[in-house]
Amino acid sequence: MSNPLADMDKPDVIFCIGTNMTECHPVAATRLKRALARGAKMIVADPRRIGLAEIADVHLPLRVGSDVSLLLAMAHVIAREGLMDQAFIDARTTQGEDFMEHVAQYTPEWAAEICECDPADIEKAALLYGGADRGAIYYTVGITEHICGVDNVQSLCNLALMTGNLGREGTGVNPMRGQNNIQGAGDAGALPNNYPGFQAVTVPAHQEKFHEAYGRKVDLATGMTKVTALDLCGDGIHAMIINGENTLVTDPDRHHCEHALKSLDCLVVIDIFMTDTAKVADVVFPATAWAETDGVCTNTERRVQRLRAAVPPPGEAKPDWWIVSRLAQRMGWKGFEFESAKEVFNELCSLSPLYAGLDWDRIDRGEYQWPVPTRDHPGTPRLHEEGFENGRGIFKMLEYRDPEETLSDEYPMWLTTGRRLPQYHTRTQTGRSGGIDYLLSEETLEVHPDDIARLGLVDGGWAELSNPRGCLHVKVRATAKSPKGTVFASFAFEDVPVNVLTGGGYDPVTQTAALKACPVALKPVGPPLALGQVGVGARGF
Amino acid sequence: MAEPGNDTLVEHWKDEPAPLLPLLHAFHERDGYLSEEALRAVSRGLRIPIADLFGTVTFYHHFSRDAAGLDRPRVCNGPVCSMRGAEVLLASLRAAGHDPMTMPCPGRCDEPVPVIHRGTVLTGRTAGTLVSGPSPLPPVPPDGVEECVFAGIRAPGRPTLAGYRSQGGYEALEQAVTGMTPAEVVDVIDASGLAGRGGAGFPTGRKWRAVADAPGEPKTIVCNADEGEPGCFKDRVLMDHDPHGTIEGMALAAYATGAVRGFIYLRYEYPETCDILEGAIAAAAAAGLLGDGILGTDFRFDLMVRRGAGAYICGEETSLLNSLEGGHPFPRNRPPFPVTHGYENLPTVVNNVETLASAPPILVHGAEWYRGLGRADHAGTKVISLSGDIARPGNYEVPIGLPLRELLHGWAGGPPGGRAVQAVTMAGLSGGFLAGADLDVTLDEPSIRSKGSFLGAGGIMVFDDSRDMIRVTRESMEFFAEESCGKCFPCRIGTQRLVERLEGQGPRAVDAWVDEVVDLNEVMKKTSACGLGQAAPLLTESLIRYFPDRVRAHVEKG
Amino acid sequence: MKRNGTPSTNGKGVQLTMTLDGEKVAFTRGETVYEVAERHQKEIPTLCYDPRLEPFGGCRLCIVELEGARNPVASCTMKAEPGMRVRTRTAALEVQRRILMEMVASENRDTDVDPMHGYASQEMAELLDRYDARTGRFEGALSGESRPDDDNPFIKRDYENCISCYRCVRVCAEQEGDYAISVMNRGFHTQITTEFGGLLKDSACTFCGQCIQTCPTGALGDLKALANKDVPGETETTRTICPYCGVGCTVDVMTRGEKIVGVLPAMDGPANEGALCVKGQFAFDFVGHPDRLATPFIREEKSGQLRPASWDEALDFAAGKLRKVVKDHGRRAIYGIASGRAPHEAAYMMQRFIRAGLGTNHIDNCSRA
Repeated sequence: MSNPLADMDKPDVIFCIGTNMTECHPVAATRLKRALARGAKMIVADPRRIGLAEIADVHLPLRVGSDVSLLLAMAHVIAREGLMDQAFIDARTTQGEDFMEHVAQYTPEWAAEICECDPADIEKAALLYGGADRGAIYYTVGITEHICGVDNVQSLCNLALMTGNLGREGTGVNPMRGQNNIQGAGDAGALPNNYPGFQAVTVPAHQEKFHEAYGRKVDLATGMTKVTALDLCGDGIHAMIINGENTLVTDPDRHHCEHALKSLDCLVVIDIFMTDTAKVADVVFPATAWAETDGVCTNTERRVQRLRAAVPPPGEAKPDWWIVSRLAQRMGWKGFEFESAKEVFNELCSLSPLYAGLDWDRIDRGEYQWPVPTRDHPGTPRLHEEGFENGRGIFKMLEYRDPEETLSDEYPMWLTTGRRLPQYHTRTQTGRSGGIDYLLSEETLEVHPDDIARLGLVDGGWAELSNPRGCLHVKVRATAKSPKGTVFASFAFEDVPVNVLTGGGYDPVTQTAALKACPVALKPVGPPLALGQVGVGARGF
Repeated sequence: MAEPGNDTLVEHWKDEPAPLLPLLHAFHERDGYLSEEALRAVSRGLRIPIADLFGTVTFYHHFSRDAAGLDRPRVCNGPVCSMRGAEVLLASLRAAGHDPMTMPCPGRCDEPVPVIHRGTVLTGRTAGTLVSGPSPLPPVPPDGVEECVFAGIRAPGRPTLAGYRSQGGYEALEQAVTGMTPAEVVDVIDASGLAGRGGAGFPTGRKWRAVADAPGEPKTIVCNADEGEPGCFKDRVLMDHDPHGTIEGMALAAYATGAVRGFIYLRYEYPETCDILEGAIAAAAAAGLLGDGILGTDFRFDLMVRRGAGAYICGEETSLLNSLEGGHPFPRNRPPFPVTHGYENLPTVVNNVETLASAPPILVHGAEWYRGLGRADHAGTKVISLSGDIARPGNYEVPIGLPLRELLHGWAGGPPGGRAVQAVTMAGLSGGFLAGADLDVTLDEPSIRSKGSFLGAGGIMVFDDSRDMIRVTRESMEFFAEESCGKCFPCRIGTQRLVERLEGQGPRAVDAWVDEVVDLNEVMKKTSACGLGQAAPLLTESLIRYFPDRVRAHVEKG
Repeated sequence: MKRNGTPSTNGKGVQLTMTLDGEKVAFTRGETVYEVAERHQKEIPTLCYDPRLEPFGGCRLCIVELEGARNPVASCTMKAEPGMRVRTRTAALEVQRRILMEMVASENRDTDVDPMHGYASQEMAELLDRYDARTGRFEGALSGESRPDDDNPFIKRDYENCISCYRCVRVCAEQEGDYAISVMNRGFHTQITTEFGGLLKDSACTFCGQCIQTCPTGALGDLKALANKDVPGETETTRTICPYCGVGCTVDVMTRGEKIVGVLPAMDGPANEGALCVKGQFAFDFVGHPDRLATPFIREEKSGQLRPASWDEALDFAAGKLRKVVKDHGRRAIYGIASGRAPHEAAYMMQRFIRAGLGTNHIDNCSRA
């Protein structure tokens, strides 16, 4: 997030897009609700009538994957009405003029053809955001898990740049991170293009720094992404070490994943449960879990906080860092003789400019938000206050692109996926916590009542959901939360593995999978003979 | 004609000012109760969380949540009606096939026993003899006593605009808007010594000036017509028989303070009054006396009636404001006061009907005239609602400072049947009892407060020497327990515990019983958040003071 | 949390002051008398106050004597004003507070509840002790109707122990923004309710548990923690961060011996300031679940099955396999995937393994899923 969580009750206008925050980040959402109680206005762009939409002033039920068109049209209205922050544009951005010219063609009427929203609502939303003194944007993977995920985010940046809604209290472009330490995994350097602290691997100076620290020269070329690696399993990639990820269930196109992992010579999995992914491994190492592990995590607002062990782990489970460092030692490598999490974290701090002012003891109370470049630095709750890291903010001239797969006669419905409040991810944790199943014990496919009637489905009955990658059976629930023509399911339950269907492409820049827009066919079927039956669809056409 | 649908009703009201109560009444009257479906439609339409709306609906006595609940006749079981046979009437209604429910005093104590059935108030002693009709006019005062608010009320045609104008009505408003500055209007009211006639007695001129000076627009005039105090029915007679007097008073308040909108918050129990007021408002608006460009000037004032739904606490001004805004009618914490943070947190005058109705005559006749209406040093008049064991019950506008005994015996004929006055209540029920030598008070706050009571809204119930004062106290305390809003601990728990002790529960030794009751009285008086909890213990306090032997007998009989 | 800032001035540079128990003290514009008194350790009693919520003024225990006022005033709702003279603990106030506590005790079935009920559950009992108010006076009807019919596994709804302070209703509305519960009826018959009096699961309740944690009497209780109330040992708490989404809420994990018995929100957690959601509050017992892996496993060549192994055996087995891959396909044939759920040290060590060990950048994390 560019801005701290504490800023979330301060905007005049809140723009949430692709974020089901009341279910996925409930505590952050409470801050937005407090802002509304104080009189703030809220725009929610989401295909579904999610909880936030119910309390919004404007709900834009856009067609899945059409975000760029909507955002271009909002920029168009803001430019047309002269609601730009010209001083900000002049002082802190480049290509502003080109951008205003670029968006002149993208009227709300043009966008309405694509995103299926009412042009008057697009207009209203643009006037609200454009007219705000403090406008803040919040997004989650509803924006990024598309083939145009980067374009979507850059479209949001364009809006913030043109209205000067960056670097001030109650503003910003704020991604909500979905996992407790997904930010930290990147901070710590688990990226193919960056060393710890987002230092690009392609910069010789960085290479030199880590050569010195690690005693070994690292390739100057960027590594491959996980997506590419999975594609190349058995064909260039022959071993994987997977830590704490149920790749088979969470990644798109399950059959492809399963095939990939099985074609490895060696799969090492480190996890706390025998997940589906662990079951196909050659070696499984038992890790300590939350509340058994001392360590550090960084939250969505870049706050660096300490995790503390409260109970001993079961049996011989060990901390992840211990497992990997001991494996490195068995590989015969030097320099992995760590004895504590503190030692590991302090080495990270010594190598990351963002953490240079931190160490294990200083973060005891979680006061710091990175960057903390020096010991006397108070941390950085709000980014871009003084300026942008790379000089000026650059407007990007974007154009709308269709998803890789679009609706056809054969596959006439959109499937979109996500989480639900009580369950987390694939339920490895929530499914084993007493009581959670009381709130949500099975997955259902959310279908608009009109679609139910049109397709001959029955509320509470069963449907077959299919596309060329696979098919599955799922119980149907009638709800106007889903727009007509779009159905929703979460990926939480193993008997409804929606990711056998997803996988229609990746963002070309980040290789993030398009999990949010997937054409499918939907038809009624009888009740299942046995739970968890999964048909295997023919690959290709 | 087809009944209006949910959406039609919601659409009609949702953009109106203070829409919740009228919208709920619309559903209540359409369906005969408030169904779950209706409440969900209201919740969506007005964007009130459904749990909050449900809780708030249950707060009001008269909203029914059971099918056909509106059809149940509501019978007064207040202290006076209880003496006059409310139980007999209830039994006779049951025998006639009705399913009656009781209600607290609906302000018809001069004609017991009142029953509300749908939109009509009926009075009588048995199911077969119930009749409806206009509320009684005030008795004529003794010769030589000059009145203020009642001066023209008995004239035929007074409730109509023409009748009102024929007696000089709206001349005060015309005089103000065409010939006086708002500040000059405030000055006259200030100089008259007029003070809040709803019970609190705050100087009206000071209140108006505070609102005029307070920042924030738009400003609002609220007429507190939620006359919920048992034994008070003076505001009803003013509105029924002289509606334009109140309307003109509100318009004057609006002109004086810069307010542009006004609400009459009318208690549920006065359905006919609602029609009378709405008719009068329409007539005044049609005549250019309300709305835009009043009397050809650029003065604007819009006025509407909002009906309550049965909650005594809504007569407390901040509860009233919460109720009007569609919130839960708990009293607000003060400060800030309504003069700066009233309706929608903007400057607001909240005045009682009688206070507002006093303003036009004061403006016409002058401050000195009004001051001169009181006895001795006291300024002005006060309407007393007199009921109970008295020959001529009714509303009397008395000079402030009139001896109580002169009112009881000289004006109203004393207790019937030659009986003696055992006790009277003050301020409806809120002032507790006066008895014995303390009946030698004059009707003004300093005199009555010196006896540990207060004049308040001016309701006086008379109990002759045949009445069981324990029973009267218990029934009175049951009213406060029933009406306690539940916000503050001393009132919520204290009223309940006092009822229980008056019912015969609690310690069996007199000393222990009195210790508990005295502690409850003290804590309620000192620490309750609003007047209800502070006043309720005056009943038990005065009971112990005047009737210690009755208390002993009550406790010891077990 | 609000307004513990530096004292403010009247605009002319003169510090705003009031008199508190005879001592002149500075305050900030907007501060309530209660807040000023708290800063000066006056320990004014209260039951309806939660520093995160708007002051309510219901319990009246926080009354103080204000010079010029006829009756004591509730300090929680009274804003400090320059020149105010306030007394926080006179004999009369203490008597009134004691009577109020006796009254409150009289409406509840229990005056003592297990601390596992929740964060604030001992507040009433502590005040009853402080005011020696367990006298049994004012005996009478109990208020509140418990809801044993609500079969939810998280929130005990034992309203016979409710004192109608409405902290639960207010936290649900003001902090959580859910408006799932409200107050129905009036006076002694007030009752905490959902819409139409139904079960929590059929309401807007999200089971965040905030109502439990602010309840001062244990009328609301944490059923998951209460299920552990007989686990032997002293309850200890360990401060850590919730394991679920990226908001990073601070929690205090309650343990007895080697068992997690419950979770408390950290009122001073920088990201959450006391808030939690259903997962952070209640979904903790996966940690001690029997399905947890307790030993390494390796896949047997012959059977093709995974079998338990010692650390030595498993580490050697894995290292051997990886070394063979390097030998057969080169160092670029190994790929590492770090976790967004594990701490920094895990991700850091994984990238160190790949970079320092193999000299490649074939490392990623699960954020692309």
